[in-house]
Amino acid sequence: MSILGLELRRSAAAGAALLALAVGVAALYLIPGRWSEGWMPLVLTSKEYLILLWPLALAAGAWQGRREHRAKVGELFATTPRSRARRMLPVLVAMGATLGLAYLLVLVAGGVRIASTASYFPPDVVVIVLVGVLSLVAAAWLGLGLGRLLPALVTAPVLAVAGVLLVFFTAIMRPWWLGAVLSPVYGSSMWYPFQTIDSGVTGALAIWMGGLALAGVLLLVGGSPRARVAAVLPVLLGLGVATAIVPRDKAALLAPVDPVARELVCTDDAPKVCVTRVHANVLESVTPLAREGLAVLAKLPGAPTEVHEYARAIDEENPAVRDDVVVINVRIDDRGGLALPDVVVLEVVSGLGVGYTGDCPRDPAVERAAAYHLLGREPVSDLELYPEMIWEEPELNAEAVALWQDLQELPPAEALSRVAAVRAAILACQDSTGLLSR
Amino acid sequence: MMLHLRARRVPLALAASVGAAALIWALWLIFSDNRDSAALIVVLTIALMVSALSPTLAGPDEDLERAAALRWPRQRALHLLAAVAVVVVVLLATLLTGARFGPATLVLGTTAGLVGLTAACATVVGAARSWFLPLGWTVVAALFPQSSGTWGVLATWQSQPHTNGLAATVAAVLAVGGLATYAIFGAARSATADQ
Repeated sequence: MSILGLELRRSAAAGAALLALAVGVAALYLIPGRWSEGWMPLVLTSKEYLILLWPLALAAGAWQGRREHRAKVGELFATTPRSRARRMLPVLVAMGATLGLAYLLVLVAGGVRIASTASYFPPDVVVIVLVGVLSLVAAAWLGLGLGRLLPALVTAPVLAVAGVLLVFFTAIMRPWWLGAVLSPVYGSSMWYPFQTIDSGVTGALAIWMGGLALAGVLLLVGGSPRARVAAVLPVLLGLGVATAIVPRDKAALLAPVDPVARELVCTDDAPKVCVTRVHANVLESVTPLAREGLAVLAKLPGAPTEVHEYARAIDEENPAVRDDVVVINVRIDDRGGLALPDVVVLEVVSGLGVGYTGDCPRDPAVERAAAYHLLGREPVSDLELYPEMIWEEPELNAEAVALWQDLQELPPAEALSRVAAVRAAILACQDSTGLLSR
Repeated sequence: MMLHLRARRVPLALAASVGAAALIWALWLIFSDNRDSAALIVVLTIALMVSALSPTLAGPDEDLERAAALRWPRQRALHLLAAVAVVVVVLLATLLTGARFGPATLVLGTTAGLVGLTAACATVVGAARSWFLPLGWTVVAALFPQSSGTWGVLATWQSQPHTNGLAATVAAVLAVGGLATYAIFGAARSATADQ
C-alpha cells in the first residue's frame, strides 16, 4: 500500500486524474441544459466528453510510461529480484484507478444537480458508466505500454492527437457497427431523453477496450521483442470477438429507445394528461396548463379530451392522429423543471389540437389566427416564444394577425363556426386556406 | 551547428512532426472524397506538428548552454521562426496534392499563434511540458467551436474561419508575445532534469 501511495504521489496519475475531473466537470456545467432531463442524458453527455478524456488518459499514460527511460534506471532496476510485472503493478493500479475514479466523480458531480429532479433511473446507466470507466483505464494502460515502447517526449502529444482523431472519426464512420465497437463515445449523441445504448453495443465496446488494456499491460511488462509482438494478439482478439457480437441492425445502433423510459405516465383523473416516464417529474406542472389548453379547445364541437407528450423515435412513422388526443412537446429547463410553461397552453391549442403527420396540407397562418382567436389574444410570432427558433417566414405572423382581426369583427358564433370548420378540415386532411375569410 | 541541432533532438522532432502530418495527409487522401481537409483535421495537424517540435525548445542542460557566447535572444527567435516555417511549408506543400490542408492564411495564423503559445509555456513550465496547454486548448476548441459572442470566439480562436479578424488578432498577440517572452527568457531551467 505504501508503494501505491508513493506511486500516487510521484507519478502523473494524480495530476492527470485531477485534470480529467476538471475538464469533465467544466464541460458538463458549461451546458447543463444538455443533461438536466435525467440520468440517461447525464450518462450520455458524460460519455460524449470521453472524446476529451480518453485521449487525455492515453497521453497521460504515455507520459508516465516514459518515466523509466527518462530516469535512466532501467538497467539498475533489472538487477533487482522483483519481477517486472510486480514492479509495474503499482503504476498500473495508480494510473487506472485514479483516471477511472475521475470519471466516476464527474458523473457524481453531475448527479448531485439532477438527483432531486430526475425521476427515472434505468439500469443501463450503471453498465454504460462502468464501461466508460473501463475505457479510461484501457486508454491509460495502453498509453503506459506505448510510452514504454517509444520512450520519447513526442509520444504523448502524438498519442493525444491520434486518440482524438480515432475517437472522433470512428464515432461517425460507416458501417455503424464497426464504429460502435471502436469508439468509446459511440451512441452518445442524444436525440431524445428516452434514448439508451443497446447492451450489445456496450458489451462489444467493453471487449474491445479490454483488449486494448491487456495490450498496454503486455507492452509495459513484457521485456523481449517477442512479448511486444504478443501485445498485438489481445487487440486482434478483442476486435474479432467484439465485431462478432455487436448488433448489426439499425434499431440497435441508431438512437435506440428505452421502452420503459418512453412509456406514458398519466394523471389518474380526467381530463387525462400523459408524459413519458423520463419526464414524470414535470407531470404535475404540465397538467394544469394542458387542461387549461383543453378547456380553450372545448369551445369547439368534438374537441379533444386528452393531452399526451410527443415521443416519436427517430426511425418511426408519425403516430396516427387521434381526434380525442392532443400531442405536445414537453421541454425541460436547465434545472430539470418544466421549461417555457407559458407556451404549454398555446402548444395544446395551436394546430387546433390536431397533430402533424406530414401527409396533409396545413396552413400555418390560418391555424395561428384560429388558435389565437380561441385564446382571445393577438397572434405573436413563434420567434418571440421559443428561444431555440431562429427563423420563421416573415409574412406569416402579419398574415395571421390580419386573419385574426377579421375574426374579431365577426359575430362570436360565426367566428367560432369558422374556427370549427378549420379544425374539421385539418382532421379530414383538407386544405384549410381561406376557411376563415369566406 | 549540426551538433547543436542534434543535442536539441531536432532530427527526431522533425521526423515525428513531418511523419505525423504525412500520415494524416495519407489517411485523408485514402478515406475522403473531399479534396480539402476538414478544418478540424487541419487545426489538429498543426497542433500536433507544433507539439512534436516543442521538445527542441530547450537543450539537455540549459545552464551549460547559456554559458556559451552566443546571442541567445536572436538564436531563440530564429528557432521559433524555423519551427513556424517547417509547419507552414509542409502544410502548404499539400495544397498542390490531392488532399489540401489549407487555406494558407489559416495555417499561418494558427501555426504562429500556437508556436508563440508553446514558447511562452516553455518559459514557464519547461520545454517538455510546454505542449500541454496549447494542445489541450486546441483540441477543445476544435471539437467544440463557439461562433457566438466575443468570449466564445476568443476562447476557441483556433477553430474560427480564416476570415475572422478577432481570431487572427488572438493568434498574432500569442505569436508576438510568445516570441518576445521566449527570446528574452528562454526555456525554464527547472524542467531540464526531465529531458
